[in-house]
Amino acid sequence: MLAQALSASLLGVEGVPVRVEVDVAFGLPSLTIVGLAGSQVQEARERVRSALRNSGFELPARRITVNLSPADLPKDGTGYDLAIAVGILAASGQLNATKGLAATALVGELALDGALRPITGVMAMAAAARDAGVAALLVASGDEIEAATVRGLRVHAARTLGDAVAHLAGVRRLPPSRPTPLPAWEPPADVPDLGDVIGQPEARRALEIAIAGRHNLAFSGPPGVGKTLLLHCAEGLQPPLEDAEAIEVSRIYSAAGLLDRRAPLLRRRPFRAPHHTVSTQALVGGGPRVRPGEASLAHRGLLLLDEALQFRSDALDALRQPLEAGTVTIARVEGALSLPARFTLLAAFNPCPCGWLGSQARACRCDDATARRYAARLSGPLRDRLDLWIRADQPSMAEVDGIEPSAAVARRIRMAWRRQHDRLGMANGELRTRGIDPRLAIPASVVSLLERRGVKFRLSPRRLHRAARIARTIADLAESELVLAEHVDEALFYRPEAAT
Amino acid sequence: MIGVGASGPRGDEISQLPPPRTVGQWEFAGRESGWGGVRLAELDAEAERPYWIAISLVPGIGPVGFARLLHRFGSARAAWAAGPAMLDGLLRLPEDAGNGLRRLRRTGAVAVARRVHATLRGVGGSVVTALDVRYPSALANVDPRPPVLYVAGDQAAFEGPAVAVVGTRRATGYGRSTAIEIADELARAGVTVVSGLAIGIDGEAHAAAVAAGGRSVAVLPSPLDRVYPPRHRDLAARLVASGGALVSELAPRHAPGRPDFARRNRIIAGLAAAVVVVEAPDRSGALLTAAAATEIGREVFAVPGPIDALASRGCNRLIADHLAVIVTSPAGLLNGIGLSRGERPVSITSLSEAEGLVLHALLQRPASIEELLAPTRLRPGALASALTLLEARGLATSYGGVTFHPTLVARRMGRPG
Repeated sequence: MLAQALSASLLGVEGVPVRVEVDVAFGLPSLTIVGLAGSQVQEARERVRSALRNSGFELPARRITVNLSPADLPKDGTGYDLAIAVGILAASGQLNATKGLAATALVGELALDGALRPITGVMAMAAAARDAGVAALLVASGDEIEAATVRGLRVHAARTLGDAVAHLAGVRRLPPSRPTPLPAWEPPADVPDLGDVIGQPEARRALEIAIAGRHNLAFSGPPGVGKTLLLHCAEGLQPPLEDAEAIEVSRIYSAAGLLDRRAPLLRRRPFRAPHHTVSTQALVGGGPRVRPGEASLAHRGLLLLDEALQFRSDALDALRQPLEAGTVTIARVEGALSLPARFTLLAAFNPCPCGWLGSQARACRCDDATARRYAARLSGPLRDRLDLWIRADQPSMAEVDGIEPSAAVARRIRMAWRRQHDRLGMANGELRTRGIDPRLAIPASVVSLLERRGVKFRLSPRRLHRAARIARTIADLAESELVLAEHVDEALFYRPEAAT
Repeated sequence: MIGVGASGPRGDEISQLPPPRTVGQWEFAGRESGWGGVRLAELDAEAERPYWIAISLVPGIGPVGFARLLHRFGSARAAWAAGPAMLDGLLRLPEDAGNGLRRLRRTGAVAVARRVHATLRGVGGSVVTALDVRYPSALANVDPRPPVLYVAGDQAAFEGPAVAVVGTRRATGYGRSTAIEIADELARAGVTVVSGLAIGIDGEAHAAAVAAGGRSVAVLPSPLDRVYPPRHRDLAARLVASGGALVSELAPRHAPGRPDFARRNRIIAGLAAAVVVVEAPDRSGALLTAAAATEIGREVFAVPGPIDALASRGCNRLIADHLAVIVTSPAGLLNGIGLSRGERPVSITSLSEAEGLVLHALLQRPASIEELLAPTRLRPGALASALTLLEARGLATSYGGVTFHPTLVARRMGRPG
């Protein structure tokens, strides 16, 4: 006899609906799973066999064939266990629920005793099921809060295979889970505060501009001057995720298995700071079972590369595409897979191997060629995508009062953020139009000033257009409708030629 | 008129034998091993030229060895005619000296010289031997003097008063701005600025002299056809275009090596009446130039730095050890070498309030944004904006660091006259 059950698979960070077809036929007793099933899926046979027996069902002594469709999509993971078990029960006449099976997607891993276990990526799978027109989703108890973040879909949570079967048969219905609300925003309390950082006024200011306009920041300077601490303050300066962004980002974290299942919706904008020994795959994603990398985990947030020149050069090069396009494309045998990765890059590095090149405080011990080779690790294309450049030296002993705490700076950033989104629907730094976009509201006289400065400082047209966007962000921070000459001049202060 | 060789005195030469002594890598065996006593006037410059060039190309024959050959043979032509025997009695020759000489002799001195001339013409240079009237007169009393120089540009650049401005390649903003100010003052007073074309102090000094409309002479550590450092090729061309000159002791196609930097220092000091060390850490090449200057009787000046500045340690020590005269201002330096200040243009620029505040503070003392916060009471963003504007107008510069310095133009506004 033939039966069908619905399930879902995870491809990158997107869910894909999967149809589980089960045929129970005469022949030597066997259980075969086909449809590009990976090793984890093959092991489902043993889990399903035990779970069925230990739940009081029987595995028919027949020739059983399970097909996962679409058959050309590689499948991995343990989420099909439930659908396979239920499909076998339906095909062998132990469960009569054709209608229920057509309207309910099933995802969950089976334990040998028949208990259901949560899996990763439920959020994306739930969205895929809803988009495929499925009315309900049956998940393992523990996954329902994450699944219920998706609107337009009934979610039921079952503790065991027995509960799931009883629900599908209409014997004992499971109550639908309550939709999971977006959590309220609370400023992060566990991050360093700008008020605790000594000195570096221009770096603070550049960081504020970088976050406000989503411009990539390069920060060079000798060791021990507070680069790392200052950049870690960035986490507390970001505005919360918007509603749609919260779902989008949470789904990536769900696919990566990094969510707290009891509070699956993220409000805090991502801040990722991978160590410089990170592999290219861990940085941009990939692997046999494609997992989002740090670049995707930083989507809509910040990616901090501390000691950026110590990263593997192929890892740094791999960041070029997401910096330009906002996505990571992973080429596979079966075709390319695209992961979202629209982050703002914060890169900190020493100007030379010893770190003291150009410092007033200490003499550099590197010879010219070594220092130049070191700086060349930041390849041209990547260098070109860094918008704001700032150089630090040891803080002077100058008395500085009126150091702003993070909260004050974050308020200004939120306001500037709103102005940009009202104007462009995106941040200034995310604008990819060629030339100087008229929407930036830069008066002609200021544009010509910018061009004069470009000649004076020998800036490429691309740098100049970049400076125009930075100037717009500075104007937004100053609550100015128009970009003024002083905003352009400040934007040009952060040009790379001045910092290296 | 006699040389001393490693193989000991040679029969007919034992008449007056002063004991040889070694100072650093320069070797002296009394004045007789130098140029003293060589009757240059009796030699025919044109007839001798190919042999001077050819012999100077033999590996290991420098000014000292060349002088010794002249003593022994009377002329380069005679030395060349002696064949491989010419190398007998020369000290510390490298292993390939014999082979090098053999190769040169196979080609023939005249052909070798012709080839050198041809390469030089390609880069606008010419050969000057110590026999030429065009040989820089300042080098005539340097002993031992380089027998052959390769020169591009205006030979007149060697004749006026000249001062060498030298310093570290890893110059700080302070060093750079001081080098610029000193070179500018010297150029305006009609003094030729001599330096080594290196990155850092040297480059700033050359550029400032040219910018002030003066002459500048660069003594290269490399041959004329391979200007080193490559980053300064433009500057070298501007130097020549504005009436200056490039000098090298190395024949074209010679690969520059370590000793060549040391020999260059001697020529830098030799071409100048005085050497100013602007900024030098311990063990800087500029200190070797100062030592060479002392040795050949040139006056040495040094610009002091803060006592905690590593980049100025060498300068401060020169002053403390009484090896150099302290430079407290460019005017003081000119005074020290017996010159008066030239005309300086007074610049007038209108400034906004913020710019004025910032520039005023910078003229008190070069400062970073952090250090400008208190005196100007401006916010970091406004300071960044004002500094960019000052930079665009050529009134301030950071030399790539975090500290901003007022430029010459700005200083003239600050204290005109």
